Amino acid sequence: MNEMATPPVPDIGITAHYPEIGTGPVDTAIYHEPAIYAKEMDAILRRSWYMIGRVEQIARAGDFFTTDLPTFGYEILVCRARDGKVNAFHNVCTHRGNVAEHRSEGHSAGLFTCRFHGWSFDLEGDLKRIRDEEGFFGCDKAKMGLRRIACGVWQGFIFVCPEEEPSQTLEEWLGEQGADTADYPWSQCTQSYQWECEIACNWKLVNDSPAEVHHIPVLHPNSAAPTMMASGNPMGRLLDVRIRGNHRTNSHYSVQAEPKPVQKLAYFHASAAQNVAGGARGYPPGINATRSPFWTVDLIMFFPTLSFTLSAGMYTAHQVWPLGPNRSLYRQRVFVKPAGTAAERFGQENTMVEFRDVVMEDFSTLERIQRALDSGQIREFHYHDHELALRHQHHVVTRILAA
Amino acid sequence: MSMAAPLLPEGFADLERFVPDWVQPDAVTRMATRQASPIAALREFYDAMLPRGEAVLAHLRHHQLGALAGPEENLLRLMLMLAEVAPAVEWYGDPRVYDGFPVERVRYLRQISDSAAQAFAGEPA
Repeated sequence: MNEMATPPVPDIGITAHYPEIGTGPVDTAIYHEPAIYAKEMDAILRRSWYMIGRVEQIARAGDFFTTDLPTFGYEILVCRARDGKVNAFHNVCTHRGNVAEHRSEGHSAGLFTCRFHGWSFDLEGDLKRIRDEEGFFGCDKAKMGLRRIACGVWQGFIFVCPEEEPSQTLEEWLGEQGADTADYPWSQCTQSYQWECEIACNWKLVNDSPAEVHHIPVLHPNSAAPTMMASGNPMGRLLDVRIRGNHRTNSHYSVQAEPKPVQKLAYFHASAAQNVAGGARGYPPGINATRSPFWTVDLIMFFPTLSFTLSAGMYTAHQVWPLGPNRSLYRQRVFVKPAGTAAERFGQENTMVEFRDVVMEDFSTLERIQRALDSGQIREFHYHDHELALRHQHHVVTRILAA
Repeated sequence: MSMAAPLLPEGFADLERFVPDWVQPDAVTRMATRQASPIAALREFYDAMLPRGEAVLAHLRHHQLGALAGPEENLLRLMLMLAEVAPAVEWYGDPRVYDGFPVERVRYLRQISDSAAQAFAGEPA
């Protein structure tokens, strides 16, 4: 008998594994009150680490890219130094505050030269040259380098922390969740699409959007539901939720159903089995932790604002940038395996388009929920057992703010 | 008098009529083209492309990125457009995501080249 024919539908009872989190309705104040957002900035957001890129973007000494940390208004310059280290600086010329490097990426022969008055900084951020230096009044070049921002690398991802003296190291912040998901072949997906959008909602709502799949049969009836839920899981239950400190992982259950015609072309004729389970052997313990044959996707969440949607052969990084109590910037980067042939290139595009349109369905709810929050029309959230990730986020935020 | 250069590889002349409008330079213009097209036009393109999909991919499987001739590049770009059009036809019956977040608010920061060779892990990008 085909064992796939009678899949075990996941049970209710995940929340009961974490009694400290409770089961009651939760107060929605943390989703909209300006005073709470101000507290979150100090107690949570400033103390966290943010993923801003990959080491492959700066493979050789002198390679650089610039980016921003929208939550903090920071412009950042990241470069590979001659010793191979990754350096990150505030991209602020110490003369008058223009950006020291204005290009979004490139290669520097050794100096970054500000396009305003021509001050130059080297790959270590040291101020090397002041144009017409004799006209200045005793500038001490040794003290006027670019300001460093705390920077670290995990599995090829470049992280920065906005705190001048980070209260936790990158490794401490990643914790057990980082240790349990390391050694996945993150660097094999060398190709990526990236897009961003501003959303008029609280940062935690953006996190909530993929953090439960209870909604999939209802919100995604024609898109994600047929392939992700199929007949065995009409209520959209998860295989598992694993909590690791402030972080958490959802493992998605699925019985692969009949894909749509163009999906079939991509999955079966373009050698791009990007969305199809299988081949998931040898994963680190934190990925597909249940080792279920019905596993398809993990949503690996690093509190507060980074998560990865990971399935066999691809993953998507979601970095949310809070901009206020009811405004966020969302950046999504879809990483796929490199294509050799033109046929495989089609598989990549199909993956990106499918994922983007499903996210457009997800995000349809966010500004509507925020209006209900801001106008006081929803004061409590009632979470389903399999919405545990949302309940845990609420629990962590509330616990930190109460400390 | 010389023959005009072929728009598509031999055997795919039936799809040539789609080249002027449906071969687009990148993912951003493909997304915009879908949003700006009536669903009837998307369906016409989809209905012509889908039955040819397996044959197209069987052809493209023998062509390496980074070394595509013009006709193969056009054929690939028709397939990339098919990927963009598919949800409109298969999921929504409309160019737009049903009841969705407005896709015009999406800003692409990074795309994968349609035709360039791609680095494998450990190779320089």
